Amino acid sequence: MTRYPAKDQVAIVGIGSTGFTRDAGRSSAAMAAAASIAAIRDAGLTRDDIDAVVVAAEPGAPAPHQLASMLGMPTITHHTRPTPVAGFGLIDAVNAVFAGTCDTALVCFSMMRSPTASRSSTADPLRRNLIMGTPSYPESASMAAAYAAWASRYVYEYDAPREDFGRVAINGRTNAAQNPLAVMRAPLTMNDYLAARMIREPLCLFDMDVPVDGADAFVVTTVERARQLPHVPVLVHAATAGLVGTNDEDQLPSLRRHGQHVVVDRLKALSDIWIDDVDVYLPYDGFSIITLGWIENTGWCAPGRAGRFLEEHWDVEQNRVMINGRIPINPHGGSLSEGATRGSGHLREAVVQLRGDAGPRQVVGARTALVTPGGFFFNSQGVVLRT
Amino acid sequence: MAAEPSAVTDAELVARLSRQRVDHDNKDYYRGWLERRLLMNRCHECGQWHHPPKPVCPNCWSSDVRATEVSGRGTIHLLMLLHQGPPAPGVDYAVGPHPVATVELVEQPALRLTTTIIDCPLDEIAIGMPVELTWIERDGAPFPVFRPVSASTTGAS
Repeated sequence: MTRYPAKDQVAIVGIGSTGFTRDAGRSSAAMAAAASIAAIRDAGLTRDDIDAVVVAAEPGAPAPHQLASMLGMPTITHHTRPTPVAGFGLIDAVNAVFAGTCDTALVCFSMMRSPTASRSSTADPLRRNLIMGTPSYPESASMAAAYAAWASRYVYEYDAPREDFGRVAINGRTNAAQNPLAVMRAPLTMNDYLAARMIREPLCLFDMDVPVDGADAFVVTTVERARQLPHVPVLVHAATAGLVGTNDEDQLPSLRRHGQHVVVDRLKALSDIWIDDVDVYLPYDGFSIITLGWIENTGWCAPGRAGRFLEEHWDVEQNRVMINGRIPINPHGGSLSEGATRGSGHLREAVVQLRGDAGPRQVVGARTALVTPGGFFFNSQGVVLRT
Repeated sequence: MAAEPSAVTDAELVARLSRQRVDHDNKDYYRGWLERRLLMNRCHECGQWHHPPKPVCPNCWSSDVRATEVSGRGTIHLLMLLHQGPPAPGVDYAVGPHPVATVELVEQPALRLTTTIIDCPLDEIAIGMPVELTWIERDGAPFPVFRPVSASTTGAS
């Protein structure tokens, strides 16, 4: 068995979320503060109990020391600013708690629509200083464009119809209708999907996540401490990131060898729980092609067959996927419909489901969750959670 | 062959290619643009090519990597059509989508360059199509693009 001494030793004990909107009308710092305060209170703790602050390096988000200052945290012994997406922040907090550099960590993800995300955000002067490292010329297959580029290769190699991508989008939208935190809750039909505006063909408007304002926060601590707190502890059973050496987006060796494959190999080696035992499945969907990749690379089906898999497991009455009639995919709506949380929404939904607090979208008796944030290149991650 | 040092100063290079993020590691690659030569990084120790330009060979860790001219022949490996995107001279999304292709060069498997395709109707551009390097002018400087191999053999220039 691969070494992972942190297995089941660290727990998520608090969650807080602002919910997600197109324009919150307030700063990323304000949203980070709101989500963080909610998460600490949810955990039944006070600021005196928090000794670590981890804040994802999202554009416009406060630095960890700024969040600590804003919340008047008296003593912090671990503070870091991991890169997006969400798994990096959680993994850092788990490792810090397990190693003993802190006891109880606040982990915060605060999203603010970048000035290039849409026409309206471009026009907003308060967003102009949030510019990310996207190229200022069209001829690039880096960053977000990389997913459209590799989607073209997926279509070419597997002769995949647009409906394969459309099912990912429709599933998310149907699920988001049951999630009050979600930004996009109006129903989506296959005809809507097929008629949508192309953005980076072969990907259309509904293949791309929805830029939003909003924040999620988590409180993470030792399993011993977790057992004294109000909620059922959600244990981090296994966690990993995955990277291959040639990860420059347009130089990736192939669709059959990238970060997702490293994550899956490692996570399978670490985890006692795998897909036959999973109750809740939360693959990332920043772009629909990422979800197709995760489904295949996780082993639910063979390469190139994710579209067929979604079709075979489609619940026509519910208008969403129910794997083997039992396991929904991204029951909160995912990044395509809850909003572009960069995976913090997927982690939060896992916690909500494992606590049994998901209301009308609750997976009955959920005890285990597989969350795979990130895409193909430099942010593939996997987390197995259990109660 | 490895490129000879260009007389263009770093300041001139950065000024002429203002859209590109010219730095220590890619300046020889971009100097090649000004001479309409496509210079990809090749390790002088082990012979392996890589792109984008890195200061060390990812294969053997030699720092003797040199911007070296490639044949300019390759095959379209990835292809997207941008219906909207960053502005550029000569690119009008209102007229039609702008093709952005990642071309795999003949020099080495998975050695690729992302740019656009010219001299080809949009509906004929496809993954797997053999293409060759040519140059256009953009912002007053050469910019590498590809065209179908047949375009040159039928006399287009």
